[in-house]
Amino acid sequence: MKLELKNISKNFHGVKALQNVDFQLKDNSIHALLGENGAGKSTLVKILCGVYQPDSGSIHLNNQEQTISDPAISLSLGISAIHQESVMFDELTVTENIFIGNHLTKSNRLIDWTLMESKTKQLLEELEANIEPNEKIKDLSIAQRHIVQISRSLIHDADIVIMDEPTASLSQKEINELYTIIRNLKKQNKSIIFISHKLDEVMEVCDDFTVLRDGELIKSDIITNTDKDQLITHMAGREVNQIFPKNNVTIENEIFQVRDFYKKTQFKDINFNLRKKEILGFYGLVGSGRTEIMKSIFGITKPDEGDIHFKDQKINIAKPSDAINQGIVYLSEERQQLGMTGLMSVKDNINMAIMERNSQFYIMDTLKEIKNASAMQEKLNIKVSYWSQLTQSLSGGNQQKTVIAKWLSTKPEVLILDEPTKGIDVRSKSAVHEFMGELVGEGMSIIMISSELPEILGMCDRVVVMYKGLIKEILNVKNASSEQIVKLASGES
Amino acid sequence: MKKFLTNRDFILFAIIMIGLVAVGFANPLFVTPSSISDVLTDTSILIILALSQMIVILIRAIDLSVASNLALSGMLISLLSTVHPELPVYYFIALSCVIGTVLGVLNGVSIAILKVPFIVTTLGTLSIYRGLIYFVSDGKQVYSNEFSKDFLALIHYKFLSLSFLFWLAVAVFIIIYILLNHTRFGRNLYSLGGNPDAAKYIGINENKYIILAYSISGFFAGLCGYLWVARYSVASTQIAIGFELTVISACVVGGISVMGGVGTVLGCVLGALLIGLIRNALPAVDISQFWQLAISGAIILIAIIINTKTEQRKEKTIMVEN
Repeated sequence: MKLELKNISKNFHGVKALQNVDFQLKDNSIHALLGENGAGKSTLVKILCGVYQPDSGSIHLNNQEQTISDPAISLSLGISAIHQESVMFDELTVTENIFIGNHLTKSNRLIDWTLMESKTKQLLEELEANIEPNEKIKDLSIAQRHIVQISRSLIHDADIVIMDEPTASLSQKEINELYTIIRNLKKQNKSIIFISHKLDEVMEVCDDFTVLRDGELIKSDIITNTDKDQLITHMAGREVNQIFPKNNVTIENEIFQVRDFYKKTQFKDINFNLRKKEILGFYGLVGSGRTEIMKSIFGITKPDEGDIHFKDQKINIAKPSDAINQGIVYLSEERQQLGMTGLMSVKDNINMAIMERNSQFYIMDTLKEIKNASAMQEKLNIKVSYWSQLTQSLSGGNQQKTVIAKWLSTKPEVLILDEPTKGIDVRSKSAVHEFMGELVGEGMSIIMISSELPEILGMCDRVVVMYKGLIKEILNVKNASSEQIVKLASGES
Repeated sequence: MKKFLTNRDFILFAIIMIGLVAVGFANPLFVTPSSISDVLTDTSILIILALSQMIVILIRAIDLSVASNLALSGMLISLLSTVHPELPVYYFIALSCVIGTVLGVLNGVSIAILKVPFIVTTLGTLSIYRGLIYFVSDGKQVYSNEFSKDFLALIHYKFLSLSFLFWLAVAVFIIIYILLNHTRFGRNLYSLGGNPDAAKYIGINENKYIILAYSISGFFAGLCGYLWVARYSVASTQIAIGFELTVISACVVGGISVMGGVGTVLGCVLGALLIGLIRNALPAVDISQFWQLAISGAIILIAIIINTKTEQRKEKTIMVEN
């Protein structure tokens, strides 16, 4: 056994990211690590890379117990990860990125650029990659970057190579090239942990699989003992164990339409409508283009083509304030960076978007501000001790409520929520859900982006399933199964 | 050829050449060998300090205390030379470098260990080091007749009719070039500035590099302390006041990104040369003194605008259309 994880648990502020997970990686094997977003795959990888320490459990490498207390140790043990997010140096050359932290030197301790470049060239030729050693990383395509990262792990003489969705944004031709490289790695006696949402590819490339769900081990076996449908059931087959307090509201006529939205390299043929009092879900993998569409609707970025119709009229949104004036607001996923100003008071944050309404001749009317803030506090049940309390001192759930309060103050008719419950605890989560139910009851329409299937199934009336910048299908949630949605979102059908 | 024309260093070199020709038309005396040699000598200290400042800027920091460090080191050795004129000049140079390095280490420790932000630390030591000069000198000056002959002689030494200062700047250029391009230390500075998170992933110790970068900056500030005092034959509380801003401008004009991780050693030298040229040429072409500061500021700003324009990044790709 090359690598064995025993009984690994990891908590983040009381949220169980991994619970007693066992994981075995054989010699000479390509092992698929599967699970929905938030199932615990990334946490597991980060533990192997030394970024996180497990709360309990042990790691055995070649039958010896190891403690991986920082990334450098992980590297020296021969574990190398190809991350989804970039851990490369854009401004440096291919050669240097491959050798970074491990530069070859001559006997006089100066760097041997010639040797490094010729080794890089040889390596890239072996991998049959069409990359020049002295190109800068920022000029490479995503596929080429992956190859450079793979080369890096080869140079470090890694025994175990972890690949986190390596094919996520590659074309079919590039994917095939990558498969060849992966199979070559296996021949060189290396083991690969392969994370992917594409089950066809998993069936084709991998030898073993492990499915995680909600931080728990669900199933681990060799791949020939299973099929795609079984894998989908393992991944999605959970009961909806949370209560989704969705009010029974009568959905009314269409009020908002997006027609033929297109932005180069981001999304294409985006058509959907939203009805009054409806909650429309957007489901898809991280990076499937959901957020990008919403940013274009809200006027943060400009689509190349497409129109928005609101209440039977074509509207023009060139910047966010246009959207806000029309009654359309967008709550960003990155609430800390984009939604609120942590060093400002809760009251000021709540009133940030309606300064005009709260002022006269450019002078702020504090009384009006406090009135609005306390109305919002009551409505959303924000736990705040005093009005000048800094927003950053609130809990995650209350911060999220503050951001929602800020946007509700503008009295919107269409509310776009991007992962509204990401990273907040269960109780705040259900408070947000409850509140969404109330809002549609009052006549608002909501678009909710979510990567959590139970949330989509529990809260939404219809769901738009996205894959790689395209709408795969718009389903009525009542008649849709979670298997069907997972299938569509991973491009399986 | 296209690659050549988009090369920032080449553009900067072209600007300097065009500037030189333009000034030559306005005042032919400016482009004689002896006058150009004077400009080079005059810019040498700026080049040395810009090169050492570059090391700090590469890791996303800045050292505002260099001019005060220079002045304090220069004053301390000047005072010593009035008491012990018999010591050979090398003692003074070495001592000046040691004092500068210690002052640099203090900056580094404050930033890396005490976690005081670099801008606060070096803004503080800018005042502290300058203030200490008043303390050690009682506010008095050391005049040229108080220095020993030896102390001042070295600086006037010439080789191939170019000054000692110029050759020293060339030597520093070569040393820093090798350091940044051909040693692990130098390459790790680039990776640390380019992507600090990723640098941690490959096991680079950030604190060590911060302290070393500030030590190097301090070392060269100390060296320039001697050079400055010897060249102008005077040590006072006011020497090199505000010079840190000229040094930083030289780096920025030379394409050293204040966002870290980007910039070439050659670019840095060219940036310093362009600023040296502007400072020397504007008086030579009869531009009113009232305008000189504003014009040199405008030129610096234009150079920065060109830099930021070429640094726009690409959008990530979600959908592959093929």
